[in-house]
Amino acid sequence: MSVSNLLENWSQFRHFHPVDDKPHDPYKWAMSIDLDACSGCNACSVACYAENNLPVVGREKYAHGHVMHWMRIEHYWDEDVGEEGGREFPDQGAQFLPMMCQQCEAAPCETVCPVGATNHTADGLNSQIYNRCVGSRYCEANCPYKVRYFNWYDYPTTDNVWPAEMTQQLNPDVTVRGKGVMEKCTFCVQRLNAAKVAAKSEGRIVHDGEVQTACQQACPTSAISFGNLVDPESRVHKQWQAQQVEIDKEKQAKDMQEGGTELRGYRILENMRPYPSVMYLERVRESAV
Amino acid sequence: MIDSGFDRRDFLKVMGWGGTAVALSGCGNTSIEDGKETVVSYVEAPDYVIPGVGVYYNSTCAQCDAGCSINGKVREGRVLKLEGNPASPINRGKTCGLGQAGVQHHYNPDRVREPLLRNGDKGETITWEKAYALIAEKLKGVKGEEIAFLSGGVSGHLKALLGNYLDSIGCKNHYVYEALAPGVVRAANKKAYGVEMPRYNINKAKVVLSFGADFLGAWVSPVHFSQQYAQFRKGVDGQRGVLIQVESKMTLTGANADRWIPVRPGTEGILALGIINALGTTSGEIAAAVKEYDKARVSKETGVPPGHIDKIAALLKLRSPSLVLVGSAAEGYAHGSQNAAAINLLNHVLGNIGKTVQAASSVPFPQLSPTKGNTAALKSLNDGLAAGKFKVVFNYAANPVFTAPGAMKFKDNLAKAGFKVAFAHYLDETALQADLVLPLDSALEDWGTQVPEYLADGAQINIQQPLMEKLHANTRGMGDILLTLIKQRRADSYKNYEDYYAYLRAAMLQNKGALGGGGLDEDAFWNETLTKGIIKMSGTTVALSGRTGASGLTVPGAVECDEQYPLQLIPGVNISLRDGRHSNQPWLQESPDPLTTIVWDSWVEIHPKKAAELGIVEGDIVEVTSRTGSIRVQAYLFPGIHPDAISIPIGQGHEALGRYAKGYGVNPFQILDAIYDKETGELAMHETRVKVSKTGQRVIVVKDESAAGAKQIREKIAGRMSTDEVDLSKEV
Repeated sequence: MSVSNLLENWSQFRHFHPVDDKPHDPYKWAMSIDLDACSGCNACSVACYAENNLPVVGREKYAHGHVMHWMRIEHYWDEDVGEEGGREFPDQGAQFLPMMCQQCEAAPCETVCPVGATNHTADGLNSQIYNRCVGSRYCEANCPYKVRYFNWYDYPTTDNVWPAEMTQQLNPDVTVRGKGVMEKCTFCVQRLNAAKVAAKSEGRIVHDGEVQTACQQACPTSAISFGNLVDPESRVHKQWQAQQVEIDKEKQAKDMQEGGTELRGYRILENMRPYPSVMYLERVRESAV
Repeated sequence: MIDSGFDRRDFLKVMGWGGTAVALSGCGNTSIEDGKETVVSYVEAPDYVIPGVGVYYNSTCAQCDAGCSINGKVREGRVLKLEGNPASPINRGKTCGLGQAGVQHHYNPDRVREPLLRNGDKGETITWEKAYALIAEKLKGVKGEEIAFLSGGVSGHLKALLGNYLDSIGCKNHYVYEALAPGVVRAANKKAYGVEMPRYNINKAKVVLSFGADFLGAWVSPVHFSQQYAQFRKGVDGQRGVLIQVESKMTLTGANADRWIPVRPGTEGILALGIINALGTTSGEIAAAVKEYDKARVSKETGVPPGHIDKIAALLKLRSPSLVLVGSAAEGYAHGSQNAAAINLLNHVLGNIGKTVQAASSVPFPQLSPTKGNTAALKSLNDGLAAGKFKVVFNYAANPVFTAPGAMKFKDNLAKAGFKVAFAHYLDETALQADLVLPLDSALEDWGTQVPEYLADGAQINIQQPLMEKLHANTRGMGDILLTLIKQRRADSYKNYEDYYAYLRAAMLQNKGALGGGGLDEDAFWNETLTKGIIKMSGTTVALSGRTGASGLTVPGAVECDEQYPLQLIPGVNISLRDGRHSNQPWLQESPDPLTTIVWDSWVEIHPKKAAELGIVEGDIVEVTSRTGSIRVQAYLFPGIHPDAISIPIGQGHEALGRYAKGYGVNPFQILDAIYDKETGELAMHETRVKVSKTGQRVIVVKDESAAGAKQIREKIAGRMSTDEVDLSKEV
């Protein structure tokens, strides 16, 4: 298969959700994060540790890049700050960007898994099946967002990760992962499933606001919205719509208008066509000062 | 009360409240495998317990003093996660990372579990009876002035009980100490507004000009202010709020500013007067006071370009109301009070009083309102200790051996006290110096009431209730300990209270009417109180008053260059670690510092320009020397700091506390000089001057950001738009 063939007939080769015979119904979980509200405080990240039984790896393993934070805050300075001929100070502040699994609709990690341990769910999540995972780490290599984390060690039996007392804090709704498996943000699937089951038993679908992810619930500035993208009543749906971001497009209205637009919504690395389920709203800064 | 037949947990069970009732079926550090615990299914489960389904109980977060209400998820008798309680006007369902880590305080493997009595270098386990008897014995014949009680900020019924106990032993030396208290700001506010902490309406301001107040990070009530900030960004009347932050070292709030203004350390007050001058809207006394502060002079002394001063003044004039905040960066100098007064004057000049600076409510029970800690208290205690005045010293919720400036020689002075008692969760640096260590219940196991210093809406009393059974059989609540101690002196007055729970309940029921439970019977009122976790009341409002003039207002000029110690040391306050009391919670250690992304360590922030001058690169181990001492720490090149200053975060460098804290990083308190604000006597935390020299060693900095540093290479994933381009008011 030549590269030109691949590029020309892209759509035939790319596995993409929702597929025609299985549309997103009644759920498609999605998120939007307002970077103008995000203060970079890390509350979301700690809340994720608490909810999802993330191990604390310690200084040495952190230095080796083994940290397991499913949700991390990326922090950037402007390019010219501190550079030759650039600005001496970051006088417009820093940029913060909460980064976690983007639950791509055409996830690059899914296609490379040799055992099908990571695949797409009907409600639009990129799921990870721990007991199917053989630890090839292909998915990690193929993830453009670098949000997959590998268990290099057996953390439950590693000293001081979960001493006896701390095991009591572990969330019984979330598996504690052992050595050799890949893990990542699940959009708090345990909460989603509980809400779905509760709704189903009442013969309805989950209302907007009925289920929150741990990061969303903690966020002191309410920068994170989460909900069902195919529910026209949901806040996430309204936000995506207002920002004219469509899940199955790789170029949005914002990209196509020349000379800027009022739209703030964008998705990261859209041009690689992973069709992520997280929309970010660009940070705004005052022009008058 | 401890050994009486009455079990308060049983009582709870009868009441049908508290997550503890379920926990009776067994938890603690036993396991099924070792045979100490057995699996028994619920033959008759309490009504609200369904195995596998979480039950939520309201309580109050004790990780800092902001008083956020929490909602703890309890399953099968164990507390699993803390969420914010949406009904609280302070945090409205939100929590910070520090609050999330509250469960790690509770389940911490390094908690003290037994009363310990010093025997040489070791602590010997003793019984509570013996411990109480020992305290009674040591207090016998000791005069009230020979007893000192050091504590952190206290409020609620614990404060009342503590006051009564101190009264019963004749002790008038209650030192209330908080290492990071806004002591100077409170005093300056009292003068400017008539109250120590007015209510700030960030959400109603169109411009916030903050002089070093890290209100999104670690200042006063960060979760509350973060929500106000989110509203402020969405805008009032469709106009997005503008944040200007003036400080020498970028804080989290500075990193979120529209304009971050690095100012020469200590010249914040001059800039404030310069802005008043540039506004040109004042007359009479104030105009005369700022006459000298023309742009050229202010710019020269502060290092802020004249154009910036003009722009700020123009914006403040154009957009009203605004809000001017004074925070820890401006107050931390020997002239901190003058800085704060000059900055507060701006609010008067801009007409913000009554709009964005409003009268605060207070709880109508003065005996419950918080006794706020400051650092001047530490000085008087230290002076007393140095003079050998005290025969018995108590310590609760403070760790001065760790947080006192090195120049105070607090540890040496403490050794002069006769008998030292520490009420402690961990064997921290101060507890290690004690003769008797009494282990405390965690905040998730204890009863209590709390009144926050900063009240968001009306007034409120927060309820703290156990979310689960005690993990360790021999820890006690502080209230229970105080009650036992006070019974040694005033048995008759307290004989009706079996334990602190009974005391608390009786005290609350006594005031049922005033607490909004007039129409309810006792049980109904009490149950409702515990269910809600908050008692809201309208509160009494003190009208703002205070000085509007500028008489006596002077701000000293910028300090001359000190050849020997050319740099100003700014102790950085990390959003997670604060004053270091929570450094043994591993989630916080592994949570990267938001601005440097460094974990599990200390660092010194140096501006790249200054670093180039000194030949320092990232990871160089440098020696930072002050007049008091020196520490060695890894260098991190940080553009968000004035080149005349360096910053080392506080909270690390523990020599004790526990496995996740001990031996990580360095403690900058050790090299702080003992310099005080001239008016209030508060410690001038930013006043220490240092020099930096290379040691020749280099390490790899453990941090989350990539080797490329905090720069976006190739495609930009986080951009920025200008306010010209968007209208946030039209968004969803």
